[in-house]
Amino acid sequence: MARKQRDVLSVEWIKLELIRAAYATRGGLFSRMDPRVVLLWYVILAFAPWFTHNLTVLAVFFVMAAVSVILARVGPLLLGLFIFGLIMEAGYIVVAAWFFGGDSATVVALAALSLKLGAVSMVSMAAFVSLDPEKLSDALLALKAPELLAFAVSYGYRMLPILVEEFNTVFDNYRLRSAPPATKGLLGWRVVVHWVKMSVLSFYPIFLNTALSVRTTVEALETRGFTYATINRRSREIRLGYLRVSLLDVAVMAVTVGLVIAAFWAGHQWPIHRADLA
Amino acid sequence: MSDPIIELRNVSFRYPGADDDTLRNVNLTISEGDVVSVVGGNGSAKTTLCKTFNGLIPHYWQGEFAGVAEVCGIDTFTSSVAELSSHVGYVYQDFQNQLVRPTVRDEIAFGPVNFGLADHRERTAEALEMLRITELADKFVWQLSGGQAHLAALASVLALRPRIIVVDEPVAELDPARAMEIYERLEVLNREFGLTVVTIEHHAEFIARYAQSVVLMSGGAPVWHLPVQEAVNRSAELAEHGIPAPQIVQAAQALGLADAPRTVPDAARALAHLPVDPTPEPETGTEGASTSEVVASVRGVTFSYNTVLGRRQVVLDGLNVDIRRGDRVALVGGNGSGKTTLLKLLAGITVPRRGEVIVDGINTRQRSASELADHVAYLWQHPQQMFVKESIERDIALFPEERGVEGWEGLVTDTLDQVRLSGFADRDGRTLSGGQQRRATLGIGLAMRPTLLLADEPTASLDVTSREAVTVMLSELATDGTMSSVVATHDMSLVAEWATRVLVLEGGTVIGDLTPGALFARPDLLERANLVPPQITQLGHALGITPPPLNVADFVSRIRKESHHGA
Repeated sequence: MARKQRDVLSVEWIKLELIRAAYATRGGLFSRMDPRVVLLWYVILAFAPWFTHNLTVLAVFFVMAAVSVILARVGPLLLGLFIFGLIMEAGYIVVAAWFFGGDSATVVALAALSLKLGAVSMVSMAAFVSLDPEKLSDALLALKAPELLAFAVSYGYRMLPILVEEFNTVFDNYRLRSAPPATKGLLGWRVVVHWVKMSVLSFYPIFLNTALSVRTTVEALETRGFTYATINRRSREIRLGYLRVSLLDVAVMAVTVGLVIAAFWAGHQWPIHRADLA
Repeated sequence: MSDPIIELRNVSFRYPGADDDTLRNVNLTISEGDVVSVVGGNGSAKTTLCKTFNGLIPHYWQGEFAGVAEVCGIDTFTSSVAELSSHVGYVYQDFQNQLVRPTVRDEIAFGPVNFGLADHRERTAEALEMLRITELADKFVWQLSGGQAHLAALASVLALRPRIIVVDEPVAELDPARAMEIYERLEVLNREFGLTVVTIEHHAEFIARYAQSVVLMSGGAPVWHLPVQEAVNRSAELAEHGIPAPQIVQAAQALGLADAPRTVPDAARALAHLPVDPTPEPETGTEGASTSEVVASVRGVTFSYNTVLGRRQVVLDGLNVDIRRGDRVALVGGNGSGKTTLLKLLAGITVPRRGEVIVDGINTRQRSASELADHVAYLWQHPQQMFVKESIERDIALFPEERGVEGWEGLVTDTLDQVRLSGFADRDGRTLSGGQQRRATLGIGLAMRPTLLLADEPTASLDVTSREAVTVMLSELATDGTMSSVVATHDMSLVAEWATRVLVLEGGTVIGDLTPGALFARPDLLERANLVPPQITQLGHALGITPPPLNVADFVSRIRKESHHGA
């Protein structure tokens, strides 16, 4: 065995990709839009697939979602996890159908569900990868979400890199100080169990350390007028003052709504239902 | 003497649920434009006192409050934290926890926006300009170095245009060069913008150099509030309260000077009349002539990593070093010079991109990190990240117990004795003081009985007494000569008092491998690596003593010897 420093598929790479996803560092179409419109776009495309069982319509939605993922420049980690999940799901659907004595009708029904979930997942990825923490919390505030929620979202993003690093450190502590399993077991299952156990145990020290450090945070928030802002409307106006709906936003919404309508029309013209394929 | 800006009259305070008063009948007046250092031992209520200035006491901490506190003419009891925060800005000791927004610009604008101030953009720009950090405005908060984050926290309170700034322990986490920067900025704020600055401090050299008056707190009340020269002269009293005198003051008082010098140039002027021996003493330390076996070897190592925005950052470039048995190596260098990376490579936590690291004859590429832990112990910079069990006894026992070391219970008890924490065995490490936490992590490392002990900044954020305790402990651990230690540090007094060998890192390679004495005689190396030698060494330089002394006793004996010759 020879250890090498790897740039891809290493712990460092995973940490970097998480941060890149959270902080929208890759840009993309949706990062240039008004965040409120992005959320509205997301809500439309996340709900639309649930109103139909028509496979034509669902296929169009799936393709739309795939295009939006490309336009939003979703990173390789998330895309990789998604595709891996999709393949595994397809795999176990087939196994389940065969094992429980189902036939092709079952497969088709489960495939319809997969198309719906796939479309909704991809649209979620496209939307949230494009919103950086400021924009997301401002959009929530604009849509009348409570101040505390908006702050919690942006604070969560701010703490994310720190917590990821801390998790890595505590996990390394466990790795170095506890004993690796004596034998690897069949296909290394003992090692996997050991690692899962260490991952879970690593959360407790992080909770405790975070509890200690937020005491200062809460006090400091008081001195920066945080509770004052909840009773003073002016701060909300100032914070949301920069949000502006532009031509790009209108264009994207128009195209999206048009495509949704077209999808339903196509489904009406050439319907494919479960019963047809069985 | 200008007008008072803070006046406390008979102020007492008891925290909710506490048995005793924390503040007892405090009477204190601070004038506008003053630079005040509040000093005192642990438990003397320095932080509590400062929290009465901005209304956190009694409005946030709703305990029992008596007396009158007036700040900028406002009675704090009838006012609110929100109102007082536009007059008093507070920067916490753990300033990283005070930064709540993702970018620096938004962090600075947070206060003004919350208060609904229309000119928040101007205030943000102004605060950035005052501290000269305008280029940091669009960086993410987690990308900032320690010093930059401190300035960002300071800017965020300046945005509310306060007349008073309170900074809790400005120096705690920073290396000496950065620490001076913070104090210089505070000095500019005082001189050019007329702000009143209150710092809680226990590093005597910064008090002596930058403060204009000093408040000594003890048992919840001020003992005295004096101009700085008088305060520094009372070094014995300060030492009793946990503030050992700066090295130059110790030296000056040992040599019979009446007035304690506040800065190194002052001390040099005051002592210039004493004769200095012109012939340099022969170099007594051996430079790398050790003949013990090599326990760890780093050969042609290159290490680089990718950053979030896609650039590749090179940290180490073709580095070669050998660590011998019994070595006490101090690893020094500026921020980002690769000290932590080198330690992690030696521990096998990461492997280099190119080159080899060999520890105890094992190539780190051939073994996993958990197997290498049998030979190397790595102590992280923040002790809290090492406490994974419910008590320090369980933490120390984790390694020997799980690896089936013979007689591990006895080993744990012995280790606790060695680090003098037997009385705290059942306590969670997080409830211990800073110095105790560091000793607990040393205990964890010792129980691993390593060939090589690696420690990352073991004396950072500690007050002087705890620092000295940890330094002494590190020396005791290495006495039998079987264990080698490599310590990454920016604490030059640790280097001077403990290390037998110093590795200076800069630009990804080792630019110097010498004894501490030889290092301090090389101002070019010190300059390149951005290192500040201990005060007594600087004083030795200024008086032309070569090789420069490493501690006060050394310095005093040289001067005495020379004046004895001259007499």
